[in-house]
Amino acid sequence: MLSSNEGLNGLLARYLREELRAVNKYLPVRRKSLNELLKEEYPHVMTRDGGTHMFRRSELKLLASLLNDEERESLLLPIIVEVRSEFKTTTAVVTDPTAAKALAKVLNLKEVLVPLYLYPPHLAILRRAVGSLIMYAFTLKE
Amino acid sequence: MSQQMLRISRPTKIELIRLRRRVKVAKRLHKVLKDRLIILTQELISLIKDSLSLRALIHKEVVECGKLLLDGLSVATPQTIGVYSSVRYSRVTAVLGSRVVAGVRVPLIEVEREEGPLDPSTFPLTLLDAGRCYDKLTEDVLRLAEMEISIVKLGREVARVKRRVNALENILIPRMENTIRFLEMKFEEREREDKTRLKKVKEILARRGRVA
Repeated sequence: MLSSNEGLNGLLARYLREELRAVNKYLPVRRKSLNELLKEEYPHVMTRDGGTHMFRRSELKLLASLLNDEERESLLLPIIVEVRSEFKTTTAVVTDPTAAKALAKVLNLKEVLVPLYLYPPHLAILRRAVGSLIMYAFTLKE
Repeated sequence: MSQQMLRISRPTKIELIRLRRRVKVAKRLHKVLKDRLIILTQELISLIKDSLSLRALIHKEVVECGKLLLDGLSVATPQTIGVYSSVRYSRVTAVLGSRVVAGVRVPLIEVEREEGPLDPSTFPLTLLDAGRCYDKLTEDVLRLAEMEISIVKLGREVARVKRRVNALENILIPRMENTIRFLEMKFEEREREDKTRLKKVKEILARRGRVA
């Protein structure tokens, strides 16, 4: 038998909360449209922890070439890819329709379903093509 | 896998309920950490692969650019090369920023160039080729620097998360499950004992009734 684990329940719950907070503290305070970012000298957004997240200009241009004017205006960056822990395998979800459409074009998917479900092989392709334009958010359903 | 158990003050049903709740929380935490570990590991592996191929490419480029420069020197003087390099771009900047990958801040370097007052017709073609080659080389070297710093940072995070995932997977959760199993067996045993005791009491009472 091991040492007493009084309060372990609270400790674990607190650790879970802290872990989610630590992972998600880099999420952006305000997202910007693709057009707005293309006009900036140094395309970036502010993150919740007070830092910045920069975008690669070449990736912005790639995404701009795949979308029309209206979509460029409505697409907010970075694209939040939600990693949901309620699924058995690692699954990410994109709920924004414009973002889902843009990512489907990058992935060369024939059909665009909203929400767009992404699996590790998709994430690997996205990372190479538009790595700086996506951001992971870890969520947990009650 | 750990065969040990947690120390519990009293083997009560309340303790069992609490433990079950703890296991649930621990499993959710494990899932979050594991998902993050998968994403981080994927990122790390792809970065390592990319950096290895980029390093090999840079080695090739260094040799190639050196050859092109030598070719350029055969048709142009060092002074011409000096003039060429000073008018090629009016400004070259390496912008150092950062991006975030699954909760890890990694650097992002971008090279920005402003075209200078260069008239390509006034310089030999081989020199122009050498210039282009060195431009590409500079970009690749900066990209490699970015990748290698990212690898170090991601590697550190992967080690940290992996340690926690392993602790949960191999120590904490099995110990809790063992304790739950122990408590369940204890309660079952207690129930069986109670049943036997009741039977005995019933028998004794029945015997007394017969005697009376």
